[in-house]
Formats: sequence, structure tokens, C-alpha cells
Amino acid sequence: MKRQKRFEELEKRPVHEDGFVDEWPEEGFVAMDGPYDPKPSVKIENGEIVELDGKKKEDFDLIDVFIAKHAINLDTTEKVLAMDSQKIANMLCDPNVTRDKIIPITTGFTPAKAAEVISQLNFVEMMMATQKMRPRKTPATQGHVTNIRDNPVLIAADAADAALRGFPEQETTTAVARYAPMNAISIMVGAQTGRPGVLTQCSVEEAEELSLGMRGFTAYAETISVYGTEQVFTDGDDTPWSKGFLASCYASRGLKMRFTSGSGSEVMMGYAEKKSMLYLEARCIFITKGCGVQGLQNGAVSCIGIPGAVPSGIREVLGENLLCMAMDIECASGNDQAFSHSDIRRTERLLGQFLAGTDYISSGYSSVPNYDNTFAGSNMDATDYDDYYAMQRDLKVNGGLVPVKEADIIKARNKAAKALQAVFKSLDLPEITDEEVEAATYAFTSKDMPERNMVEDMKAAQDLMDRGVTGVDVIKGLYAGGFTDVAQAVLNLLQQRIAGDFLQTSAIFDKDWNVISAVNNTNDYNGPGTGYHIDDELWEKIKDVPMAINPADV
Amino acid sequence: MTEINDLISKIVNNVQEEQANSSSSTNTATASPQSAPTSGKTMTQADYPFFQKHPDLVNAPTGKNVKDVTLEAAINGDVKPEDLRISPATLKAQGQIAASAGRASIQSNFDRAAELTKIPDERVLEMYGSLRPYRSSKQELIDMAEELENKYGAKICGAFVREAADEYEKRKKLKGDN
Repeated sequence: MKRQKRFEELEKRPVHEDGFVDEWPEEGFVAMDGPYDPKPSVKIENGEIVELDGKKKEDFDLIDVFIAKHAINLDTTEKVLAMDSQKIANMLCDPNVTRDKIIPITTGFTPAKAAEVISQLNFVEMMMATQKMRPRKTPATQGHVTNIRDNPVLIAADAADAALRGFPEQETTTAVARYAPMNAISIMVGAQTGRPGVLTQCSVEEAEELSLGMRGFTAYAETISVYGTEQVFTDGDDTPWSKGFLASCYASRGLKMRFTSGSGSEVMMGYAEKKSMLYLEARCIFITKGCGVQGLQNGAVSCIGIPGAVPSGIREVLGENLLCMAMDIECASGNDQAFSHSDIRRTERLLGQFLAGTDYISSGYSSVPNYDNTFAGSNMDATDYDDYYAMQRDLKVNGGLVPVKEADIIKARNKAAKALQAVFKSLDLPEITDEEVEAATYAFTSKDMPERNMVEDMKAAQDLMDRGVTGVDVIKGLYAGGFTDVAQAVLNLLQQRIAGDFLQTSAIFDKDWNVISAVNNTNDYNGPGTGYHIDDELWEKIKDVPMAINPADV
Repeated sequence: MTEINDLISKIVNNVQEEQANSSSSTNTATASPQSAPTSGKTMTQADYPFFQKHPDLVNAPTGKNVKDVTLEAAINGDVKPEDLRISPATLKAQGQIAASAGRASIQSNFDRAAELTKIPDERVLEMYGSLRPYRSSKQELIDMAEELENKYGAKICGAFVREAADEYEKRKKLKGDN
């Protein structure tokens, strides 16, 4: 065929590098309303669910059993299932129906009912519902802080940088697993230097992650994965009971935690059981509820390529975020994985959560250039900051970030690097040189950092664990180095785990350690003029982008 | 979370508290004034933030009040890692706050957590490992449930592990089933 020139040009566009696939329900490649999805049903006998979504008790798999025993309100479920799904969907997006009227209904859902209700909504209706159902009135976002060399000095500087830009939660991980304790300390010290009150975590294997928290190196965790089919759950090396037990372990040590799930994971791991992504994700949300966990990271997360490839997939992703929040669970709503080669689609991916606002719009936004993102890159990265600021300013939306002055960033980065230098000295870890401090202050990526002896660092990281170093030792090191304010901030962070206020739904802290959660910052949206709005002080900050020309200067 | 489960856990709690009151010296793990600070009142959303509203009740399991966890104390070595832990009483209070805000399932998690505060870190990590698929025989899980119940007074967690043991047997997730 002789090629039409416009078609040839279009094929060169970045969107052509993305993956698109036709629906294939037999393998789970269907976003919502799958032809094999069960119809909602529930039957209760002698105070026990004996039929769930068309399945008899004797045919229940582990997930059905767990949901039937722990996740459904027996008093209301029969009544809720008799309600018209379209009517419930209407209530979800109707500004006149407040959140507190909806929670008693959603907590009586079964997974199939939940999926059926969400499927009634178009994308804009989902956004309407999201701005109302988000548990915390004030939206926020989470940041990734990593680098491919696990350079601790750079992690500290980048964490301070991210804290100044407004991330109330920051997540690191490792390029090499053995670095975990060192990375956890580095992000904690850096974040508390940038802005006291930031919560930090280090995503590693489940048991090790808890161990880091117990030592006072991390404040929360979220990579506690749950899955929508029994086979995948088992392949993930857990069961709903082991995960429920783990959730209680975290709470017992005063540590915040949320689960992680997301559509596409079952397809990726080969056992979707012909079900749609939304239905399987609904099961994950119910497991989270049944475990009594306050929050969930969902929205396809690292499997975004799967829903992103099928029709209505990005709508489904917002739908699963919405369902999480509608069931009164904190939502860290994805937007945390490189998704598309097309800048237009990257923006499309973000918009639903960004405009409506979720507890954490991204989980997280890469606060470092994607080159250094060891979570395999995020949807937005450090090079997108000014675009993000412009979007907030253009649309008067709080996307969770604020513009910053270059001089302030330089100061914070430098102080964080020096604070970590003091901690390393006090803990007898491999030296951080002044040259490294200077490089971290001004670095773009880890390429700008002097080489460290990685073997020595890894040995030292292991030694930290063997010696039984704790958060108190970090405080002592900061104090000895003259960083009294940072020492105080780390102490305040550790104090919070005695009080447990941040174990409540959607909890974050401001710079003065005031907790902001769904308990004391309840979303009361009830139409225009109600719910969350940007206050004058924040609006002045959002308006103040570095690119703006002051007419007085012209 | 079902109403019946709520009810059962409430009854179990009551029984446990009674037991703790009548034989407070028999606890093996951390025989400390961990359950001391209860004003007897049920906490609600109005008691939140707990730290701000009831600083006098925010005590570590060692009995150290949060106000004594100062920078000076930390530098002088007067703050042990055990002083930076949450107590069962505080978890109960936070559970009540969650329930009053309409989140009964969170309370059930905190009730389990309150029981787990007594168990040493290494053991609690091992217990989590034992609950993972194909790690334990049914008997091993039952033994663990008994340990929870008898050694640590963790009745809710014990029942949770027993439930897992039954379901793992039915769905073939026990040691050797893979």
C-alpha cells in the first residue's frame, strides 16, 4: 500500500511506543464490566455469610472466606444489595449527599456490588465522587527519593529538597537490598532537616521493612501487597491472614502502614481467573478493610501498563481509587510508575486524581530525575516540577506541592548533607567528605556525586543492624554534630509512635507536628463553597512560580 | 467487620482486662505498668489528637510519660528504645477513637495490636513468617495460637491464628502442600 504521509508522521509520535491491546477477558485483559464477572449476591444464615457474589460457602477460596468473615457489614449488606446500583452511583457523585451518608452504604457492599456501582460512573462523575469521598479533607501527595548508586548523602539532600517542596510522606528503596538501613536513616535525617513532620519509609521485603520500623529508622510502610486471586496471593508469599497479622504487628510498634494493591497485578502474574481488573481490585480493597488497615496504595501502581493498555483502563484506575476512598480507606492513588512515552498521556493519567484530589495524588511523584528512580521511574519526576506548578496555578488546584526559591533549596540540601555527615561520624560509618556534601548540595543526579566505596558502605549498613543501632543513636549523632533542631525533629517523630495519632486514617503532620487526618480533618464536601479550598497563604505560594513576570519590573 | 465479631472481641477484651486486674503479676513478658493509664472513660473523636488532648495518658509500656522523652533525656541515655513504644492502653484508646469516627474494623486491628505489644520483636517477626503459605503444619499453627493465648494473653490473635489454621488446611496452604 502506498503510505499516506500524515499516517507516516503520526507513527513517529511518542504515543506509538506505548502498548495497546484489545480486550481479552479470558486472560483478564478487561478493565471493568467483564463478561465473566460475578453478579452481586449475599446470603446470611445463622449470622454467617453462606453465599457471596454467586458463590456458595463450600466453594469459597481463601479470599472469599476472609472477606465473608471480616470485611462485610452483616447488618446492612442484604439491604444494600437490594438497592439499585445506579441509584447508589448517583448518590456518590451528587454534591448534595454528604460523605457520611454514603459510608454506611459502601460498607455493606460485596466486591461484585462495589464493582457494579463504580462501573455506572463516567470519568467526570468519578472525579466528582472522589473530591467528596477522599477521607482527609486536605489533599496531599507522596514523593520518591532514591538514586541508582544508593548514595546516602544525595538521598539526604534530595529528601530535604522534597520536604521543602511539600511532600508530607517520602518513600525510598534500594538499588542493592543490603543498603536498606542506611537509606532509611538518610531519608529520615534529610526529610526532618528540610521540614519537620515529614513521614519517611524504606520499601523492602515485608519482614525486613518491619524490622527497620522497629528500630526507629522509618515511620511508616506501604509495600504490604495484597492480591485479588488466591493463586497470585500465594505466589506473593502471603495470605490474607499473614497480611492481617503483619498489619497488627505494625500498629503494635506504633508505626503507620497501608497496604498496596492494584489492577493488572493478577494479569501480570498469570492468574486473573477471567475476572475484570476492577472486580479483582475490589476484592483487594475488601481484604484491606477486613484487616482493619487504615489505608491502601492502589491505582494499578507498578502494573499501570496493563490497565493503561486496555479500553477504559485509565477510567478503571480512577474507579479503583474512588472505591478505596468510598469504603473509608486512605488512598495513595498511584501515578507512581513511568506509564507512557507521550507527555499528553502522562498528563491524562494524572488528571483525575490531581483535579479531584486524593489523600496522596501520587504514591509517589519522583522527586529525583527518573534516571535515579529505583522504582523504575515515575509518571512525573523532578524535571516536571515547573509544569506541575503551572498546572496548579492555571487551574487553582492544590496538587500537594509548592514552588520554592533556589537559594532556599541550596541551603536545605547543604544542611541535610552536613547533618548526615555528622550522623555517619557519630555512628562510625564510612566518612562523608566535605566534597560529597558540596556535590550533593548542587547535584542534578547521582552522576554528579563522587564515587563512594560501595563495599564499605554495604558492610557498614549490615553492621548497623548487627550492632543494634536505633533512632536514639541517630538523635545523639545529630546533637553531637550541632544539629539540635534536626535531633529534636527526629525525637518528635519517635515520640509520635508512643501516642499513635498517626495510626488513624489518612494521617500526616504539619511542620509543628499537628496531626492532620480523617478524624480531625474530615471531608465535609457538600457542593460549591464547602469542603476543601485553598487558603490565601497557600494560594500566594502557588501563584509565585519562578517563571512569572512581575509587571512592576517591566 | 461483622457485628458479631465486634461483640466477641469486646467480650474477650473484658475478660482479659478482668484477668489482668486479678492476676497482674503473672505476666511473663513485660510485667510493667503498661495498662495503667486508663481514666475508665471510652475515648471518642473529641479526644483526638490523643497526644494533645491527653498528654498525661501517653505513656510508653515502660511507664515513661511522653513528656519525659526529651532531647536532654535522650542525649543523657535516659531514653531507651522501649520508652519509644506504644502501650496497649494507648492502642485501645486509639481503637475507641477510630470506632467513634465510624471505623470499627480499625479498632479490631488495634485490639490485635494491643496484644502484640507484649511479644518481643524477633518473636513477632517469626510469627508473621509462620503464617506465610506453606511454612507451618496445622499443629505448628495451633501451637502458636496456644503460645499467643497462654504466654502472652493474646486471645484475639490466638483466635485469628486458629482461623487461619483451619482455612489453610482446607485450601492447602500448610507445610508440604506446595
